[in-house]
Amino acid sequence: MELDVSAVSKQYANVLAVKKLSFNVKQGEIFALLGPNGAGKSSLIRMLTGFTLPDEGKISLNMDNQSYSSIPAYTLGYLPEDRGLYPEKSPLKNIVYFAQLNGVSKSVALQDAEYWLERFDLLERKVDPLKSLSKGNQQKVQLITAVIHRPRWVILDEPFSGLDPVNQEKVVVFLSELKAKGMTVILSAHQMAMVEKLADRMLLMNKGEAVFYGSLQDIQAKANTSSVLKATFSNEIDVSLAEQLLSGINYQLLDARSLKLSLTTEQSLNALLPLLAQLGELQSLLSEKMDLHQLYLNAIANHGAVTHVE
Amino acid sequence: MSNKISQAKQTWLVTSWEFMHFFKWKQEVVSKLIIVSIGLVVFLWQNIKDDSQTIYTVAVPAEISLPETLGHFHFVATNSSAQDLKMEFTHEASWDAIVQEVTLPNGSKKIAIVSQDKQSWLEQLQQQLLQHYTQDYAAQLGLAEPQLAVLNSPASFAYEYLDQSIKTDEGPGKATAIGMIILLAVGIFTSFGQLFASITGEKQQRVTEQLYSCISPQTWIDGKILGQLCHSLKAMTTSGITALLGFAFTLVVLQGKSFDLSIIDWSLLPWLFVFTLAGLFLCTAFMAAIAAAIDDPNHSAKTSIMLLPLVPMIVSFITLDNPTGWALSFLSYFPLTSFVAMPVKMSLIDMPIWQPLLSLTLLVLLCVWSRGVAGRLFKMGMTMYGKEPSLKDMAKWMVKENVS
Repeated sequence: MELDVSAVSKQYANVLAVKKLSFNVKQGEIFALLGPNGAGKSSLIRMLTGFTLPDEGKISLNMDNQSYSSIPAYTLGYLPEDRGLYPEKSPLKNIVYFAQLNGVSKSVALQDAEYWLERFDLLERKVDPLKSLSKGNQQKVQLITAVIHRPRWVILDEPFSGLDPVNQEKVVVFLSELKAKGMTVILSAHQMAMVEKLADRMLLMNKGEAVFYGSLQDIQAKANTSSVLKATFSNEIDVSLAEQLLSGINYQLLDARSLKLSLTTEQSLNALLPLLAQLGELQSLLSEKMDLHQLYLNAIANHGAVTHVE
Repeated sequence: MSNKISQAKQTWLVTSWEFMHFFKWKQEVVSKLIIVSIGLVVFLWQNIKDDSQTIYTVAVPAEISLPETLGHFHFVATNSSAQDLKMEFTHEASWDAIVQEVTLPNGSKKIAIVSQDKQSWLEQLQQQLLQHYTQDYAAQLGLAEPQLAVLNSPASFAYEYLDQSIKTDEGPGKATAIGMIILLAVGIFTSFGQLFASITGEKQQRVTEQLYSCISPQTWIDGKILGQLCHSLKAMTTSGITALLGFAFTLVVLQGKSFDLSIIDWSLLPWLFVFTLAGLFLCTAFMAAIAAAIDDPNHSAKTSIMLLPLVPMIVSFITLDNPTGWALSFLSYFPLTSFVAMPVKMSLIDMPIWQPLLSLTLLVLLCVWSRGVAGRLFKMGMTMYGKEPSLKDMAKWMVKENVS
């Protein structure tokens, strides 16, 4: 059971939201869709769920000896980008209603809903109107609604949105449990640290196109051509001077005396060293592996120059 | 793990959700208690309180001559003048009323009935006195009882039509049909308000995608139509019973008359029910499809289009005067108006059974077609945020492939 997306494109009015995108999602993995706002992630998700059809290309899924052109509803758990449940109804009523629509009996749905509400510290609020809950708590109810029926495929569009760090960690554990239960999770998120912990593979999109695709290790290996350096000075860094000297370079001030610099393939160390020397007395210069956050920023900044990974 | 669930079961779940969404237990219990209380009052009044058994005493001044008893009114002749009696009446209430009489220049009499406060039996006293004075005046003119009866009603009228199909005695049929149309309007207005709130609310609350991930747009709109149809039927039943009880209350309690259900043509009711059911389905499907295309309920011009289902009612009322005319005949078969026009026609003229059956068949076929069209329009409308589809877009979607 593998979801194959082959050269898929989607256009809305004058906007080409998705451009000839190809990738696959394997059974039981957590697959992350990354990209800035407007990259085309939600358009892609809507095609995967069958809400909209691709203008070009093909989506195919072979499951239960049948072939599907999108993930069939009876196997899908979905947390949409446009959040929405019935605000006048209680969390319990909302969760049980959607569970029943997905084929779960009322008694089982009630039992499971109480279990999940307790896990997310919401049991005491189970009969309050949903609208009386905080945004983060509403998000948790929406998340439970998406998986209460134990679907085979789970698509979560920004599951960490509106959650505090404690609850973000809870969601990370929750998603790991889903994976352990054999569910395939496709998630779209902006929290790179969370994605790094969770995702087996990922696809970075920008302007509807694939920028990188594969496991973090694969992507890091491919990105070796560019490098991350940590420069430490014996003196305090003059911030305005750094801004002036390093204007074309992606860098981050770590503390008063150190900088993290990400070099692209076009930027050479030879050219960088004289610039660093102007900032002060260089104490050390260490090479580091790029984390997902840096990879993401670099890739988006250089989109067009980056080779697609297949 | 989740199971495949049948579309019928999903439709039932959406139907009950939609129905219960607008069903407020407290409100329902209070309103039903009020209805039951009115019914109880009418029943008790009709069966226990019998005004005709109560004897009311009326004081009569010396200048007036009245018999000792008229119906259940006992007249006490006094030696006092009307003015004195009135003075006395304000101090003690041993009488229920007094009467005063003034002869007008044309010879007729003006009778004043004086009582402590307003009572329902005063009208009966007036009727008894009027009857007495009429007989008294007839006797003065030398008229016998039969002559007086002819004078009161010198001619009676009846209508006969060469067209044998027109009912010469409309009986309760017309009233039943008109009553049903009024109730249908109540049902349509109920659906209109609730569908509008429900669909535009779901769009604004962004429940759309969550629902689409587990049900098809066709299942969704089917459930909504059925849920609202149940609400309309509930509203119609409640309004019908309330109207009947109100009528009964007026007759029995306020006017002291008896009440029975002969005002309803029971033979027409089954036909009215099926036509109403199909009509409600049609109207609800139409309104749901239009409501789905409304993005901002405060600024959309499409809201007024939702009221189009009221047109058949208005048109049918206009054509009531000529039940065999071409207009009502056409409207009674045309499926967009037949749910109103055919029951009206049936109440006015006798017709072979194939005529309502044909009309009903055409109406059901339109319902089946409109269900699909509503589903397609609903899908289009609910997936468009921030932008309303134009009427041209809607026309295109009406003929697209099935969405389920």
